[in-house]
Amino acid sequence: MAENPDGPHERIPAWDETADAMLADVDYDADLGKRMADDAIRVANGELSEAEFHERYHEEVKAEFGRDDRPTDPENDD
Amino acid sequence: MTNYGLVIDQERCIGCQTCAVTCKQENNVPMGQFWNRVLTEGGDHIDTPEGSYPEDGETGNLDMQYQPTACQHCENAPCVKVCPVNATYTRDDGIVEIDYDKCIGCRYCMAACPYNARVFNWDEPEHRPDDGTGDVAERPQGVVEKCTFCSHRVDEGLDPACVVNCPADARIFGDLDDDSSTVSEYVANYNTEQLLEEKGTDPNTYYVQGEMTPGRTWTSDDLESELDDDPSAESVSADDAAGDEPVPHVPAEAGGGDD
Ligand code: SF4
Ligand code: SF4
Repeated sequence: MAENPDGPHERIPAWDETADAMLADVDYDADLGKRMADDAIRVANGELSEAEFHERYHEEVKAEFGRDDRPTDPENDD
Repeated sequence: MTNYGLVIDQERCIGCQTCAVTCKQENNVPMGQFWNRVLTEGGDHIDTPEGSYPEDGETGNLDMQYQPTACQHCENAPCVKVCPVNATYTRDDGIVEIDYDKCIGCRYCMAACPYNARVFNWDEPEHRPDDGTGDVAERPQGVVEKCTFCSHRVDEGLDPACVVNCPADARIFGDLDDDSSTVSEYVANYNTEQLLEEKGTDPNTYYVQGEMTPGRTWTSDDLESELDDDPSAESVSADDAAGDEPVPHVPAEAGGGDD
């Protein structure tokens, strides 16, 4: 397989368009949704830790939604 | 712990779409939406195979593959990680579910799902007949919805509707944490794969390819774990089955058709 400068997580070619269509006219920040979606898959395949993922978006999520109840919060770890 | 999973035997699947239809009925899935689909891979259109008919003394090579697809109930689900209000969550038994009262319709989970398994209610949901067909309450406009492994049935000790109604017995549901369950045996003994394994999502849905399994070997609606007699005692491992015909539970009688 060809080397991917972004790491092993390669986007499915049509993903950009599909994600744009899914998030079109959303009442929330579509760009934030796309970035988070992409990084959530990086978390799944081990390229990014849950804690980093949580931290990376915590302020933006709080600003956008007034809360951040994602289960990736290290504080919620049992 | 219980960890529910689904095995779909693609060698048994005949592409009849019964699972898609029964899912819509059971779960009151609105018009225009599908939680469960059978994708086809072949010719230019859905339901057109590739290849040619045997004509003019040539050998035909018609071919079409079926890919039943719904929420894969990932162990490591990206949709759960992105949901800012924790509306999408994983139950203790491994089923990924949505709390429709909490969902604010941001659709981040849709963009995060590599399987395109989620649908959004852009409009007020419509049903035929108007008050729906199944036991599950309709979801309002503005929320995301998807397959629940029929958790309302599972909670009552019943298999998901698609599993019970598959005429090819190609769908087998059970506890992946129980080594003696049929799903665990099939995952261990047959050639199974998870979709988009490289994404690391670790789906609880496995697809069998290559050698055909004996399929779902019991006739009851009940979950395997609820049955008095353990059907897995009769199930056949790949080693035992080598060279044997799969043993369907349907009686091997001549059909009553007029052909
Ligand atoms: S298939 Fe999609 S919706 Fe289902 S659990 Fe996985 S990421 Fe979530
Ligand atoms: S659409 Fe609903 S379930 Fe999906 S991420 Fe947003 S709030 Fe969560």
